Formats: sequence, C-alpha cells, structure tokens
Amino acid sequence: MTGLAADRRTFLKGLGVLGAAALVPGCATSTKSPGSGSAATGELSLQSNLSSEQAKAAMEKLVAAYNKTGGAQVKLNTVASEIFRTQLPTYLTSANPPDVYTWYAGSVADSYAKKDLLLDVTSVWDGLGNYPKSMQTLSTSTNGQKIFVPTSYYWWGMFYRKSNFAKWGVTPPKTWDDFLQVCRTIQGKGIPPIGIGLGDTPWVASAWFDYLNIRINGAPFHRELLAGRGRFDDAKVKAVFTRWREALPYFDPKGKSFPFQEATSALLAGRTGMFLIGTFFADSAPKDALDDIDFFQFPIIDPAVPVAEEAPTDGYFASRKAKDPDAVKKFMAWLATAEAQETYVQNSSGTAIPANPDGKAADTALVKKGKAMIEGAAELTQFFNRDSSDALQPTADAALTKFLDKPDQLDQILKDWQVAAEKVFTA
Amino acid sequence: MNRLKTSGYHLAMGLVSFLWVAPILWVIVISFRSFDDVAANGLGSLPHSFTFSTYKSAWEDADEFRALVNSLVVTIPAVILSLGLASIAAYGLARYSIPFRRTVLLLMLMGNLLPPQILLIPISRFVELIGYYDTLIALIAVHVGFGLGFYTFVLHGFMRDLPREIQEAATIDGAGPGKIYASVILPLTRPAMAALGALSFTWIFNDLLWSITVIRSGEKMPVTPALLGLQGLFVSSWNVIAAGTVIAAIPTVAVFLRFQKHFVGGLAIGAVK
Repeated sequence: MTGLAADRRTFLKGLGVLGAAALVPGCATSTKSPGSGSAATGELSLQSNLSSEQAKAAMEKLVAAYNKTGGAQVKLNTVASEIFRTQLPTYLTSANPPDVYTWYAGSVADSYAKKDLLLDVTSVWDGLGNYPKSMQTLSTSTNGQKIFVPTSYYWWGMFYRKSNFAKWGVTPPKTWDDFLQVCRTIQGKGIPPIGIGLGDTPWVASAWFDYLNIRINGAPFHRELLAGRGRFDDAKVKAVFTRWREALPYFDPKGKSFPFQEATSALLAGRTGMFLIGTFFADSAPKDALDDIDFFQFPIIDPAVPVAEEAPTDGYFASRKAKDPDAVKKFMAWLATAEAQETYVQNSSGTAIPANPDGKAADTALVKKGKAMIEGAAELTQFFNRDSSDALQPTADAALTKFLDKPDQLDQILKDWQVAAEKVFTA
Repeated sequence: MNRLKTSGYHLAMGLVSFLWVAPILWVIVISFRSFDDVAANGLGSLPHSFTFSTYKSAWEDADEFRALVNSLVVTIPAVILSLGLASIAAYGLARYSIPFRRTVLLLMLMGNLLPPQILLIPISRFVELIGYYDTLIALIAVHVGFGLGFYTFVLHGFMRDLPREIQEAATIDGAGPGKIYASVILPLTRPAMAALGALSFTWIFNDLLWSITVIRSGEKMPVTPALLGLQGLFVSSWNVIAAGTVIAAIPTVAVFLRFQKHFVGGLAIGAVK
C-alpha cells in the first residue's frame, strides 16, 4: 500500500516537472493571443477538413508548393472533419471568414451560393476549357455563376477479393440476374454474400438506394427526386425497393451492428463476399491486402437506362467576403491545374482521381479501371447527401435502415420518408 | 463464515470494478496495436501485434504537445478565476444579508439549468463582435462564465454552514470583510474548494463544445478537438486515437490522484469540528 502511494507521488512529481516545462511556452502564447485575428494582410487562409494523417500531409505539400510560386502566401488551417462539417456555416457567416475552403461540388455548394456566401469564380473557369461538361454543371450555382473549383473525385463500386472469388468459382457479374446468381453461389458456401456496415455509418445504405435508383429510373429522375421535385412515395421509388428486396436475403446480418470500417475488415478476412463502397475504404485496408482487391460496376438492371455512376467530386470554394478576391482566384486557378492536382493525389491515399482531365492518376490497375468506368458513364451523380443536402441525409438513413429491418412495412416507411423530406425542403 | 463473507464481497466488488475498468483497459490495449492488425482483425479482436509507434504518431500528427499546452493555458486560469470569483460571490451571499440574495443565487443557478447548446450561436456571435473570436482568452471567459453559477451555489451552501461565532470573533478582533474572507472563511472552505477545483479541472479540460465554438485555428485548439482531428473524413486510425486519448487523460488523472482525498471526503465532511 505504501509502495503504491510512493509510486503515485513519484508519478505526480514527474508530471509536475513536465507541466512546468509545458507552461513556459504556454505563457508566451497566452500573452500573444488577444486580438490576433486571421486578418494578416497579403495572406490567404485555407480552411481544410482533410484531417487524416495522409491527406493532411498532402495538403501541407500542396500549399508549400504554391507558396514557392510567389504571390500571396497561403496559410493552411486544418480542423477535424467532424468539426468542419458542423462549423462551416459559422465560418462562412462570420465577420472575418477564412478565404478558401475544401468542400464538395454540386447542390451542397449551391446551397451556400443561394445564401450569397460564396465568391463568384467564373473568371477562373475561363482557363478550364478542358474540364468535362459534367464538372462545369456541378460547379455552377442556380443563378449561373461558377462558384466551385473541382480538384479530385473518387468512385463507388462493388469491391471483392480476387482470391476469394477464384476460390468460390464466381466471376464478376454484369447484370442484375447474374449478380443474384453470384449471391446464391457465395451463400451456398456459407458466407454472407453482401457486406455492409450501418452501425455509426448508416449513410452507407444510401449507396444502394442511389445505385438502384439510377439503374432503374435513371440519373435525371434521381436528381429531381433529391432536389425535392419528386415524391419518395412514388411508384417509381417503390420499384427501387422491390428490386432491393430481391437482394435483401444476401446481406450480412451482422452489418447493422458495426461501422463500414469493420465491414471492410470483414470483407478482407473473407467473412463477406462483396461490398458496395467508395474507394476511400482502401485507406482502412492493410497494405498487403490491397493487391488482391478488385471491383465490378454496379450490375445493370435495365439496359435501356443510360448508365450513370457515382463520382463524388471534391474541391474548393471561397468566401464572398474574401479580403483579396484576385489573390484567391489566382490560388484557385492554380489548384485547378494538372500539376497541383497530381501533387495532391500522389501524396494522399492514392485512390482519388484528378478532376483535370490532363492530370495523371495513380498508376495502378484499380485506379485505371475506376477512371475508365467513370469516363465511360453517360451521367454522373455524386452521392445522396451531395446531390441533396446534409439535412436530407438523416431522413434517408432512417428510412433505409428501417427498410433493411422491416421490408414488409415499405409503404409506411416511404410515406414517413416523404413527410420527413417535405419538412427539410420547406425549412 | 466471516472469511467466506469477506472473500465473497471482494470477489463481487472485484467483478464490478472490472466492469468499470474494462473499457479503459480496452482503449489501452488498442493503443498498442498496429494499424494493419486493427484493419485485418477488427477493433474487438484480441491483439496480434504490439507497437509504441501509435504514441509517436499521436504525439506528432495531432500535435498533441501544443494541444495539451493550449488545454492547460485555458484550464488553469479558468479554474483559478472561476473558483476565486465564485468564492467571493458565495462569501458575500452566504455571510452578509444582502438584499435579494436569494434571487441573485437562484438567477445564477437558473443559468445552469439551460442547456448550453441554445447559447452556442449567441456566444459565437458575441465573441466575434467584441473581437475575441479564435482566441484562448474567449475560451477562458466562456468557461468562467459557465462555471460561476454552479460553483457559487455549492460554495454558498458550504459557507453558510460555517459557525457564526468565528466571524463574530474575527470582527471583534478588528477584521474587515476582506480580511475575514481571506484569513477565516477561505481557509475553512479549502475542502470544498479542492473538490470543486478537481471537478472543474476535469470539466474544462475535457470540454469539446465550447472550444470548437469559439476557436477556428487548428493550432489554437485544445486537446479534445485535436484528438477529433485524428479522425479522418472516412477512415480513422483507432489505434492512434486510442494512444492520443491515453496521453490526454494523464493531466486529469494526475489532478484526480493529487486531490483524491478531497474528491471522496471533500463535500461530505462538515466544516469545522
């Protein structure tokens, strides 16, 4: 007992020394801080939500590369993605907002443009003639201004382990019927065919809704629906769920209890057969497993519907109150160049594809295949929340998880979803 | 028979305490696992690897040293200021018949009954208006403001029960209100102050909400948002986060160990015997 007390004292003494050391520079910071706003002249502030280790390092390299080109110096400020997401409206509406922000293209950016919070960067787009039409559309606000500069995108696909597919004797399916056949075969081996991870990350289920909807009803219908110009209790939406029910018996029953990161582990360990997920999952895979990973396109259901794919696009927008709009536009024009995007892509996780068509993506078979799939698509969508709003996402999460639990109550679920969505759209 | 009872008690209590300690142990175990191990076997599995590199990367990537310094720069002045002000307020309210003192006390307590969330936007706007947005001073002020009501209430209850005679004796000896506060009341309130100090240290140190409301720059963030920064947009290295959490827990554990005695006894024991 006395020994324990002595240990406690030594521990505290040690900490005392450490604490004293910590306080010396601490005093310096505390006297410096009052009034030091971010309004330093000739400096641009870039607020970034890329807080994971690799992405943060890549951003630091990117900013360092720009600062070497001369002109206004950019100061990178990385905050946790979760904090960024909740605080972005506060940043944008504050009296002295940061100048440039990392964020998403499409309706999420447009919703800020509607509130007149974003800088018009149409002049930057004059130099971006080689960007595809789809990127232009995504970067244009409802009143016709360009408000966004896309820099990279990634794709979604049905990922699987090549060695496991070989072992089970199945080949990647192209059509919905083939897909169900593959599911039956894998289930016959005693393995849940379709992995999913909905605990903590219920939004993963929206990928299924998005893909089934763009395969059955097409991308234009999907976009209209998410923009509030359709109804979730429509017969066409119901058809999506009728298809989904055909695949429902093949979902991993454990998937409701863990997040997608655990579902990735399950896929890699061969506890599930395949997994509909975005390429970001590769960051949570052990390096030795990556060579064994491949994907196939979400199966075609109705050949008459033009093929659309999900390609969430990331990039930058700027505050309308930016202190030096010309310097901001110069920086954003630089971000849109192939070189800048390659710098970022090479230093981050490697599955992102530069938005500039001249930018080279990582030279792996997986990325080449993904890029080819996106470039071959007739239409691009982004993802449920990016095509609608962060406010609509929870309504989808509620409806879809309930559907996975109790598919029999579909009519009631869709009715509730429509009511919840109307509240969001009229708000 | 008696021995059987004792060992049964120890066994049962041992199990209960294990239940409490288990999540913490789990975090510590995860903090020593490698990323590939966690990714391949899942968070719940038994460890297949052992590494210290998680601590190194938590320290470097989250810039945890700077974050801890920020946290201490906020926490220490906030605790001292709020307890100092609260004890003066409680002294006045408890020992002197100030008009409307009940109302004042209830008003202060009422502030604590409001959920802090409804004040997020007003505070962020107000702090911006007075030009202290994105400074640690603002964070200290917010913590002092929010703590004041509750600390005053607790200290008021404690000081009220101190015997009248002591104060009367001091007055006869020629001590003014200031002297009585500093030399008589404050020393007697020490157990309550110590317990409150330890509590408020933990609260302020572990706060996340206010820091993300009034601070915008990554380098000014205290340790809790810095830990959140270890979480990626999609993928999180839970082993590194676990390691960072273990490091961040050290100051609060130290305060707890230092004030352990007061934690247990502080509020329960009467003032003077």
